[in-house]
Amino acid sequence: MNKNEFLAVLKNALSGLPEGDVDERLAFYAEMIDDRMEEGASESEAVAGIGSAEEIAAQVIAETPMTKLVKERIKPSRGLRAWEIALLVLGAPLWFPLLVAAGAVVLSMYVVLWSLIAALWAAELALCAFAAGGIVTAAVYFFKGHSLPGIATLGVALLAAGASVFAFYGCAAATKGIVNLTKKAARGIKTRLVRKDAAK
Amino acid sequence: MDIQLKRGLLDVCVLAAIKDGESYGYRIIKDLKPCIELSESTLYTILKRLEAAGSLTVRSDEHNGRLRKYYRITASGLRRIEDFKTEWKEVISVYDFVTREDGHE
Repeated sequence: MNKNEFLAVLKNALSGLPEGDVDERLAFYAEMIDDRMEEGASESEAVAGIGSAEEIAAQVIAETPMTKLVKERIKPSRGLRAWEIALLVLGAPLWFPLLVAAGAVVLSMYVVLWSLIAALWAAELALCAFAAGGIVTAAVYFFKGHSLPGIATLGVALLAAGASVFAFYGCAAATKGIVNLTKKAARGIKTRLVRKDAAK
Repeated sequence: MDIQLKRGLLDVCVLAAIKDGESYGYRIIKDLKPCIELSESTLYTILKRLEAAGSLTVRSDEHNGRLRKYYRITASGLRRIEDFKTEWKEVISVYDFVTREDGHE
């Protein structure tokens, strides 16, 4: 590999970084190669002495803070043209509400998910209340000497109590699931961002 | 080695390499070879860090029909070397104490 090939590979591998940073780094490696050659190394020896361009790029990207990569990713690769800006401004009444609506849809989906969880917990609470109420009612029946309806009520109350224990585990598992899902979604977004930059 | 400690040591090594006059990238690597093997990428990161900290200044000059960057130590860079010396005197006395304890056990 000669000097220009090495620099081209490096430049390509570093394209996820700010342009000024890349140029400065390329100049630094070019100087190193030139100095090695001046000392008597052949061009290919000098390039080989620096190491693999891909490995250097991987190391550089690993050392670059996440925020810098994100900024570079968000930044458009060229300035916006006048008609594009005009279109963006004129189109604002159209795209802005659409953007807000899309955000609202995602948010409401999330809210619906959590209200389902809330409903589950409400049902669980209702079962508990029903069981407690049943036991009190049964006690009243027994106290008044109506033992048959008392036994029936107590049976139903105990059933509800048993069901509420099962329902509790169900609710807890569902809540945990949603929390994990939220975490996973956040992680997924982040890794996608990094992977795109590293792959470039 | 602890990464923060290693970083500090490397910084002082590079500063020591330009202590007696300005130098350039390849010469710094060669001068440091007996003490520590630096890769070009590592040196680049250290030089950037030292420049940002105001420990050295950079200028470009023509050499054999191309540009070469020369690094010169600043007063604050020299002070860092002095700080390193006094700091490590303490570290060495701690080391001596620790190893002396080993001998008694």
